[in-house]
Amino acid sequence: MKQYVFKMPDLGEGTVDAEIVAWHTKPGDAVTEDQLIVEVMTDKAAVEVPAPVSGRVVSITGAPGDKVAVGSPLIVFEVGEGEGAAASPAKPAAPAMAAAPAMAAAPAMSAAPAMSAASATSAAPAMSAASAASAPAVRQGRVMASPANRRRAREAGIDLSLVAGSGPGGRILRADLGAAHAAAADAGAALRSAQTVPARAEHAAETSEIKVIGLRRLIAERMSEAKRNIPHFAYVEEVDVTELESLRQHLNRSPPDKGASLSYLPLVVMAVTRVLESFPQCNVLYDAARGVLVRHRAVHVGIATQTPDGLKVPVVRNAQTLGLWETAAEIRRLAERARTNKASRDELVGSTITVTSLGKLGGIASTPIINAPEVAIIGLNKAVERPVVHHGAVAVRRIMNLSSSFDHRFVDGYDAAAMIQALKELLEHPAMIFIPKVASS
Amino acid sequence: MLMNKRSRLHLPSPPARPGEAPDFSYVELSPAGAVARPDVNARARDIGSLSLTLVRVLDNAGEAVGPWHPHLEPSELQIGLRHMLLTRLFDDRMQRNQRAGKISFYIRSLGEEAVSVAQCMALRPGDMLFPSYRNQGLQIARGIALVDLMCQLLSNTRDMCKGRQLPVMYHSKAGNIFSISGNLATQFPQAVGWAMAAAIKGEDHLAASWIGEGSSAEADFHHALLFASVYQAPVILNVVNNQWAISTFQGYAGGEQRSFAARGPGYGIAGIRVDGNDFLAVYAVTQWAAERARTGAGPTLIELVTYRAAAHSTSDDPARYRAKNDQEHWPLGDPIQRLKQHLIRLGEWSEARHQALAAELEALVASSWKEAAAFGTMNEGPRLDADLMFEDVFKEMPEHLQKQRALMRTERG
Amino acid sequence: MANMNMIQALNSAMDIMLKKDPSVVLMGEDIGYFGGVFRATEGLQRKYGEHRVLDTPIAEGGIVATAIGMSVNGLRPVAEIQFADYIYPGFDQICSELARIRYRSAGEFFAPVTIRTPCGGGIRGGQTHSQSPEGIFTHVSGLKVVMPSNPHDAKGLLITCIEDDDPVVFFEPKRLYNGPFDGDPTKPAVPWSAHPKGEVDEGYYKVPLGKADIVRLGRDVTVITYGTMVFVAAAAAAAMNLDAEIIDLRSLVPLDVDTICSSVRKTGRCVVAHEATRFSGFGAEILSIIQEECFWELEAPIQRVTGWDTPYPHAFEWEYFPGQARVAMALKTVMESA
Repeated sequence: MKQYVFKMPDLGEGTVDAEIVAWHTKPGDAVTEDQLIVEVMTDKAAVEVPAPVSGRVVSITGAPGDKVAVGSPLIVFEVGEGEGAAASPAKPAAPAMAAAPAMAAAPAMSAAPAMSAASATSAAPAMSAASAASAPAVRQGRVMASPANRRRAREAGIDLSLVAGSGPGGRILRADLGAAHAAAADAGAALRSAQTVPARAEHAAETSEIKVIGLRRLIAERMSEAKRNIPHFAYVEEVDVTELESLRQHLNRSPPDKGASLSYLPLVVMAVTRVLESFPQCNVLYDAARGVLVRHRAVHVGIATQTPDGLKVPVVRNAQTLGLWETAAEIRRLAERARTNKASRDELVGSTITVTSLGKLGGIASTPIINAPEVAIIGLNKAVERPVVHHGAVAVRRIMNLSSSFDHRFVDGYDAAAMIQALKELLEHPAMIFIPKVASS
Repeated sequence: MLMNKRSRLHLPSPPARPGEAPDFSYVELSPAGAVARPDVNARARDIGSLSLTLVRVLDNAGEAVGPWHPHLEPSELQIGLRHMLLTRLFDDRMQRNQRAGKISFYIRSLGEEAVSVAQCMALRPGDMLFPSYRNQGLQIARGIALVDLMCQLLSNTRDMCKGRQLPVMYHSKAGNIFSISGNLATQFPQAVGWAMAAAIKGEDHLAASWIGEGSSAEADFHHALLFASVYQAPVILNVVNNQWAISTFQGYAGGEQRSFAARGPGYGIAGIRVDGNDFLAVYAVTQWAAERARTGAGPTLIELVTYRAAAHSTSDDPARYRAKNDQEHWPLGDPIQRLKQHLIRLGEWSEARHQALAAELEALVASSWKEAAAFGTMNEGPRLDADLMFEDVFKEMPEHLQKQRALMRTERG
Repeated sequence: MANMNMIQALNSAMDIMLKKDPSVVLMGEDIGYFGGVFRATEGLQRKYGEHRVLDTPIAEGGIVATAIGMSVNGLRPVAEIQFADYIYPGFDQICSELARIRYRSAGEFFAPVTIRTPCGGGIRGGQTHSQSPEGIFTHVSGLKVVMPSNPHDAKGLLITCIEDDDPVVFFEPKRLYNGPFDGDPTKPAVPWSAHPKGEVDEGYYKVPLGKADIVRLGRDVTVITYGTMVFVAAAAAAAMNLDAEIIDLRSLVPLDVDTICSSVRKTGRCVVAHEATRFSGFGAEILSIIQEECFWELEAPIQRVTGWDTPYPHAFEWEYFPGQARVAMALKTVMESA
């Protein structure tokens, strides 16, 4: 099964939104293509909208009287494989950067958490610029010169701001350039060096400006939104991953694909997916517009990934259906696509929970920011060998901390802690990850 | 006070607005079979009355009567019925596709199918058609593949217009159907020019063009009639009087004072008014006009009296300006129903065959859509190369367009 | 070779094309029996018959539209619009139809129509017989726009245009029909017989589109112009003893950017002159191109010499017309800046 997101079409020529008049379907309904599903009103016409595909309605947007913007999701259908493949807008060709409106579907490019890449952009304005000594009177304001004279000056290495103009309004004439050129030749080393040898000191004063646009702006907006709106409950726990490490090393001795070695990440993703079976309240998207928590049976795990453009969160879909090696391969594939800017929009949206790892830069603890509208994020810190008390004796064990954040509005501290403890239990006894839970009666 | 003085300014208004009972008493009708059929060589000045009466062949019982009865073979009538039904089902599906966001814009010809289909069938394949945007029946009757029409609607990789035209602005060089313009009535005099060229070159093809009664207010309508008259060009000029130009009633195009067909005699052109929902009458009148054109008896202006049963386009909502469901009260009925009734009466058709035909055509439309969508839709699949934007401005691309094209490529990375 | 004025040269071009290509037809108001109000088609209907040289109703839109229809059906119409001022009823047909038929039908239909129309002032025609609307048409994608300044070019360009498969609007500066004009209405008119460009080959020849003519080579300043202003500008520069390079564009679309730019790169100074109004006029396009292509070579801001942004006033024709004095002012400005 796959989802078909039907967006409000432009029903007139250049309409921007349409008002919901009446729904003729509701979530859970099975509809057939062409069946009337909703009546809407544009500024030009009252229009009956038929279902574009056959399928089951997963969610609808807008109550009667609400206006829905053209292009925003109106209905989400669950359709059979192959349905709507040819004619459907299931995979809009919209650029990945398109900011999707808040709805059950996660926003376009969730900027997640934890990866607060330490930016070292401050350029120290150490020394002030050394101005050329013994220069002629420096002009106030802009230099006036024809484009041709500017070119001549540039080619001759003449700084026009040092040239006195004899033309109208102080404009630098070609003759003035000739004089300046001769003067420069006579003035000796001091002037020449000022003109031709860029002093280090000059550069020390420089600052450079980087516009906050594109992905960076999106990350900035989403981060501050999440931080502003969500009361974060942070929880750090220590996990003994000695056995997990042993299993990992064992598995890496004979990977299915050469060179496809396992990191902790796929193991943790597997474990998180298992744990969520018992903690469905953490596999949730919060639809603020409707005031609804949408629980997801499927687990779509966002993987916070550092790329040359900045943070992206590609999504491992239906993690609950994947085996370990499949999970690892999928994480690798998505990370590569995210890094090379090839990830489709579909691969960057729709996560229900996020896992973030800084790998070797993992540190001891971090405070990850929730990838809204999710309600939980699990952060991996660095796994290191430490002396710990083990079975009553001090032993060298491999320890990794988990730093997690929960949306405290919807996840109580007790549940959050219980979930992490369950996760710890699995990671410390990794065989349990692969043993199905006994169905509770 | 001027209360006792009548205003000399006349403001036409339709007989019924929303909330009022439909009223078509203004439509001047003639009984089926009542209008005489003049010789094809009759001079325009001698047959002026044809522009005021209404040629009808099918009576209310579905019987073909009178001198205009074209005596077509039942098989031809069945083909006509098929084309009309296909046109309607195609329209229905494309309308729903627009509502479902699969195409951007659409215009239906609901209730006017007999106009395009019967007229096209009465002409020869070498005759050149200059349609308006509501003549999809011409494309279908000329055998243009539905897939080709749909690809145009989708502006996809197989779009005949290479993505440059609004949906429904088709053309078919091979089918002798000229490129449709969004500008009103421009094709009317162009058809006359085409016909003049046919005469200059000594060929016996004719040209036919269609505009709505509203478009007849454009100067180009008059250019067409004037040039057709001056040169007695072999052309058939059709005014499809469907009563409405979007929300504007035909009275604002001058229809209240005199029929549109009567513009013809004013220019010295034969003008004839015909029941546009009567397949047999439309066929007969077109055949008559074509014979006139081919034999050198000159051009004909045909007013096809019909009713725009649907909205003007997918952007329009007639409930806002005309009586609700008034198409059901249209005195000349529905063209498909009437031809079907006639065929059944002849013993050449049945309800069951009709159902089977409808199912077959629905399947054809559905499979064609699937095929068309494989060439790309607005949302997915292959897309036209943006480079094409710069082609066909001229036969050979000049340097400035080449430079802009290169710039665009750089821009797109 | 024969001595011809521009009317005779145009007549010769149409005569040759009617004879050479049976698909060529002429059409227009008064052009058949009467031979045209400027006599450009005189004798051609008599020679080629009423099917080849058609009188039309007074309906410019109808003329253009039927010319399109004819061209779509294989003819090659040369339509005359009696005055460029009367072209606007055909404007929709020209801009929305003629210019785009090839494009919108993806090349399957095309319309090789040549629209000839006399333009420009200097004949006391007032606002309805003096306009130079070429810039409007250069702004329409899909049209070629041509304006010759002398009999030799007029004939060769018209033949090229008739044979071109794209639509062309062919402007004829009517002040130059009978002789070159230097902008001084008080001087006696000079006939083409006294000018080398009045020497015209009687046979078939072509002048290419998109190729400007360098009327005079020079080093001090480039003067870019076309139509009526070619002789006015040359006269003004000569009076100032400037070694000016005078460029006659001849064809506005396509435009000979290479010739313009290499001249400006050489002189560093430029004046653009046309009779048409200034705002959004064709000169602005030339300035933009020079600025984009030759900015670092410019010694001075480029100057424009144009008609004023008003309708062409009958009573103040010579105050309106951009004569030698206006050209001289611009030359002075551009030479003084450095």
